[in-house]
Amino acid sequence: MLNKFFNPQSVAIVGATPREGKVGRVILENFKKRFKGKIYPVNPKYDEILGLKCYKSVKDIPEPVDLVITVVPAPVVPQVLEDAGKKGVKAAIIISGGFRETGTEEGEKLEKQVMDISRKYGIRIIGPNCLGIYDNWSGVDTFFLPDEKMMRPLKGYISFISQSGAFASALLDWMALKGIGVSRAVSYGNKIDVDDVDLIEYFRDDDKTKIIIMYLEGLKPGRGRLFIEKAKEIVQHKPIVIYKAGKTARGSAAAASHTAALAGNYELYKAAIKQAGLVEAESFDEIMDLSKILLTQPLMKGNRVYVVTDAGGVGVMLTDALTMQGFVLPKTPDDLKKELREILPPHCIVENPIDLTGDTDDKRYIDVLEKLLPREDVDAVVVVALPQIPGLKGELFRYLVEAKTKYNKPMIVIMIGSHEAEKYGKFLEKNGIPVFESPERAARALKALYTYSLIRGVASRK
Amino acid sequence: MNVKTIIENAIKEGRRKLLEHEAFEVIRAYGIPAPETGLAKTPEEVAELADKIGYPVVLKIVSPDISHKSDVGGVILNINSREEAIEGFKKIQENVKTKAPGARIVGVLVQKMAPKGLEVIIGGLRDNIFGPVVMFGLGGIFVEVLRDVSFRIAPLTEEDALEMMKEIKAAKLLEGYRGQPPVDKKSLAKIILGVAKLLEENPEIESIDLNPVMAYSEKAIVVDARVIFRPK
Repeated sequence: MLNKFFNPQSVAIVGATPREGKVGRVILENFKKRFKGKIYPVNPKYDEILGLKCYKSVKDIPEPVDLVITVVPAPVVPQVLEDAGKKGVKAAIIISGGFRETGTEEGEKLEKQVMDISRKYGIRIIGPNCLGIYDNWSGVDTFFLPDEKMMRPLKGYISFISQSGAFASALLDWMALKGIGVSRAVSYGNKIDVDDVDLIEYFRDDDKTKIIIMYLEGLKPGRGRLFIEKAKEIVQHKPIVIYKAGKTARGSAAAASHTAALAGNYELYKAAIKQAGLVEAESFDEIMDLSKILLTQPLMKGNRVYVVTDAGGVGVMLTDALTMQGFVLPKTPDDLKKELREILPPHCIVENPIDLTGDTDDKRYIDVLEKLLPREDVDAVVVVALPQIPGLKGELFRYLVEAKTKYNKPMIVIMIGSHEAEKYGKFLEKNGIPVFESPERAARALKALYTYSLIRGVASRK
Repeated sequence: MNVKTIIENAIKEGRRKLLEHEAFEVIRAYGIPAPETGLAKTPEEVAELADKIGYPVVLKIVSPDISHKSDVGGVILNINSREEAIEGFKKIQENVKTKAPGARIVGVLVQKMAPKGLEVIIGGLRDNIFGPVVMFGLGGIFVEVLRDVSFRIAPLTEEDALEMMKEIKAAKLLEGYRGQPPVDKKSLAKIILGVAKLLEENPEIESIDLNPVMAYSEKAIVVDARVIFRPK
């Protein structure tokens, strides 16, 4: 039902303008650059804008219009919607602010009017007071920030829903810089109509979305139960990573009951997140850490993790971090120990974490991983490869990329360092192997993968 | 009286909460174990009820105007005889007259005293976004100081309720310590599910506190119940 928002054949941009720096100009330029469908600027003051014929009203457009985008001032928006409704338009993005968020009676009244008109004509609405949609596949881009201010990311499979427009644009810009691919991003502002429930449902059936990220301040009143119900089903197809903002607001101390006093907003969301099977990112860093591991790695069948390292110290740090996240680092079984003993020099440690020591080379890693990766009693492997040692020349990293396809086993890499680390790190991430600098962040990300594996029923709690 | 009538009557009287004997009756209708109780209006009735219920009993003031009964001397524990019951009745009336002058007195609740168990709190709330939600925690400092509680959004399963108990930081206490046997978690789960159902089926209710609930090795029983309605 939301397809007209993301894949319209034609769009009308109401409030389009040739004036430099204006929202109506940036959006028109965005569409001209990347959108393949028909574009109809609407503004009674012009006959033509940037080489496109301009219309006085949506009603005057001779062809059907799938999506109306409006950037005109709030008091004009009801009229725009009336026109759109008469024209038979079924989807509208209201970028304009000046509604309920102003806290004024006038704003509230306008918002109510907009809702009434949209119901009358059956128009679905995103907004008002939002950045709208950035769609990397269809070219719908109502983010009114010019390319030179906000880089557009590569095409990819991460879709995100953000209650904060500014956060959405900052994240897109940052993902573009990091080379992380994005599918679709939505900022829904006041969400008078289309909300989180509708959007996750749309992304469920979207083959261009493999993972959903949500930045959420709060659901709409009365939608909590439905959200949990839908999400529960959706996470059986693709993971939802959620960052809940507004954690510190608490239940009122003056509440009439103990329960009410203890039921802070975040406490209830935490319960909802658990019941719905969402994966919670607890910090900004985690949003990306969790996303990249969930996007690239197969699910874990259990919680037995093996570490192969060239640095004893990082091996110990990692062992602590993994254990604190509830992972088991099993003692190397006798048969494996024997095999490793045969291929490794005597000074290497064959007990998990397996320490190849600082004089290792690529081959030593590859030999060990060839023994580890095929084993059924290994649920994930963390490779610590500090690239400062002379023996690491790149062969290991090329091998890891091959091994990912060959063994399809969860595998992540820890790399700390400067240019070499950056170079190899980029290469690995480009090829679907997540790289972390910090053992703690790696452990938390792996925990998210394990949690999601439990939700999917691939791993089972013992 | 059935649940709907009890609630309707209270609301008709302009009250925002159920009196305790009403609250017990309502939770009982949802399969939540409450102690044997009776409402007495005279010393004779107290004696009679106490005899019938069996000692020890607890006496509690019943008044729509008093929410913290202990603070006004409205609760006497461990009454062991007919004489103590009559005396207790009088004492409560006096206490309340001095500490809460003008409070309307419906009577005195005679309640079978529950033996000491592990005190837990089970609550329910109607949230603006999620609708009915339930809460579980250990009583006393665990809930008051440490806020060590867990929540679930209704509807929930027995498995969810059992998981709520595992989730609190003090979960190990439920497994028994210092030679105590583990508490009966299935009975507690049944109470949690009952609270959820009570909220689901009665939209007038805003929140429920069962505090404390005494948990034992083979059962659990609610000792104090508070049911509050939504403001009009």
